[in-house]
Amino acid sequence: MLDLLMLGFTEIFQINILIVILIGVVVGIIAGLIPGFTVTMAIVLTLPLTFGMEPVMGIAAMIGVLVGGMSGGLITAALLGIPGTPSAVATTFDAYPMAKKGQPGKALSLGIWASFLGSIISFFLLISIAPQIAGLALEFGPWEMFSLIVAALTIIVSVTGESLLKGLIAGLFGLLIATVGADPIVGISRFSFDIQTLRAGIPFLVVLIGMFAISRLFNAVEKSELEKDLSEKQEEKIKGLKFALHPIETFKTVIKKPVNLIRSSFIGSIIGAIPGAGGSIANIIAYDQAKKWSKDKDKFGTGHDEGVVASESGNNSTVGGDLIPTIALGIPGSAVTAVLLSALMVHGINPGPLLITNEPNIVGGIFVAFLIASFFMLFAQFLGMRFFVKVTDVPNRILVPVILVLCVVGAFVLNNRLSDLYLLFIIGIIGYFFTKYKFALAPIIIGVILGPIAEVNLRRAVMTDPDWTLFFTRPISVTFLVLAILSIIFTLWQNKRSNA
Amino acid sequence: MGEIIIGILLILLSAVIYFNSGDFQQVNDSILGPGSYPKLVAALLGFLAIILVIKKMIELIKTKKPIFEEGKKKFFLNVWKEHKIVFLIAVSLGLYIILMNVIGFIISSIIFIIASGLIIGSKKKKDIVLMSVISVTVTLGMYFFFENVLYVRFPDGILF
Repeated sequence: MLDLLMLGFTEIFQINILIVILIGVVVGIIAGLIPGFTVTMAIVLTLPLTFGMEPVMGIAAMIGVLVGGMSGGLITAALLGIPGTPSAVATTFDAYPMAKKGQPGKALSLGIWASFLGSIISFFLLISIAPQIAGLALEFGPWEMFSLIVAALTIIVSVTGESLLKGLIAGLFGLLIATVGADPIVGISRFSFDIQTLRAGIPFLVVLIGMFAISRLFNAVEKSELEKDLSEKQEEKIKGLKFALHPIETFKTVIKKPVNLIRSSFIGSIIGAIPGAGGSIANIIAYDQAKKWSKDKDKFGTGHDEGVVASESGNNSTVGGDLIPTIALGIPGSAVTAVLLSALMVHGINPGPLLITNEPNIVGGIFVAFLIASFFMLFAQFLGMRFFVKVTDVPNRILVPVILVLCVVGAFVLNNRLSDLYLLFIIGIIGYFFTKYKFALAPIIIGVILGPIAEVNLRRAVMTDPDWTLFFTRPISVTFLVLAILSIIFTLWQNKRSNA
Repeated sequence: MGEIIIGILLILLSAVIYFNSGDFQQVNDSILGPGSYPKLVAALLGFLAIILVIKKMIELIKTKKPIFEEGKKKFFLNVWKEHKIVFLIAVSLGLYIILMNVIGFIISSIIFIIASGLIIGSKKKKDIVLMSVISVTVTLGMYFFFENVLYVRFPDGILF
């Protein structure tokens, strides 16, 4: 582990890489704080920019966006009471009342410290756990890999979205998109229907931009039409706001209650490591647990510091947790890490249990970039807060068109092909309707990225030994399959209970 | 209603994939050829989509609420009001992509940013000037960044 970190330090400590991480953090914070624009969108649009970079540099930039984005939601959550990202929902419960009571500076500083310390705790969990899990996974045969993917996908489906059925449909739709193009084992072209563009398959990046950026922008203009007056009022409110940050004082407040901080960060890391569950779930659960264990239960919701700390350390620590299965198994825990993996794949690096052994400099680079990004986030937030607060002013009529052009450029950059843009348009429309009717998008994306891996392993397994029962008799494989079935049963049971 | 339409489209999609999966030539004697896995996924997707459609249809019949509660005209008027901007933005995005091939990246992007900015926001004179400045800056910035730093060749259009 130490050699990994050493390698990482030598990879990351170059002035141009450090600058790229800093830019990433700032971009992430801005994306996180603007309501309706998600961190995922920012990462997806960063991806095309990294094509020309060295792999480590590209990944470092994206980690910066991710860490910054998780903490950016704090700003609008505290000052306006609207979460900039779903990951900051619980932050509004206490940070907003605190700001209304005349302590906006305290609310922001507490959140920044909690975000930072949560990241650092999850960093230590990441570097100590990921190599162990990867070591175990080296024993996996194609049976285990296939069952693992089945389990990962079903778990994703059961934790995201409200309907199990719609989630499963979304996941299978993703798997189906991934089958278009060259067969992964023998290489013949499938389902291209003699359309030249489809012959090489539907590019992953195009699916990502269409699903996560274009469709969200469509949704944003639809919503903004309904909430026009509301947002104008809020803009006014934030403009006249005056506040002072007290970094040292609030640091002491956070550190005084270490149990709350550590508990919330552990919750965040564990939830982050579960495929599909991320910051949006972690901040609520961490907040809820903090309230349950606190001596001052009544103060929660009125502007209590423990609430802010729990929510913000809960969401930022998911980043480290999310990276655990991503690095150790090649299974992305969320749409965001799916983008990270695809960035690796663009550079010809195959994610999976062998990643740590084969590409120690990349893995070390990811670890160290995460650490550095957390520090940059801390400084950027404290030093740049006044600037970030201003950004909430940028109206949709400027943002949406500019980002749409960025989407089109991003999709074009991959292959320099105009026909990819037609695909982008179609996928954007599909994504819009899927979101509108509450089909979760994360299962689609993870289906697209895991689909080929699942297929290769399934066929390899049957090629090695035509005996189908091996999937159910190999202990690790059957464990994963049981896990998959249990996650479905559990969700069904839960839905039934909440309906009753 | 929307779910039913999505469900039916997904059923059609899985049927197309399922019935096109049979005719790949077998390269070797492996048990699972190129068509087997897509066939499996398509079958599962089709099955679940059928369940979704049936479920939503039952819900629709059960509520017994007529879809056109306030008359057909009003219903469509509301749908149009809700989706007007999305529709216009989608159309202009489509046109933008098509036009890019004809008039080139720079001009089409500038037009697109101004046009969609006006669709979303106000149409005051001051805002049009602001949108124009932004669109030119953003477009040229992106153009030079991608052409010079990432060596991307944008379409110049056939007219120029």
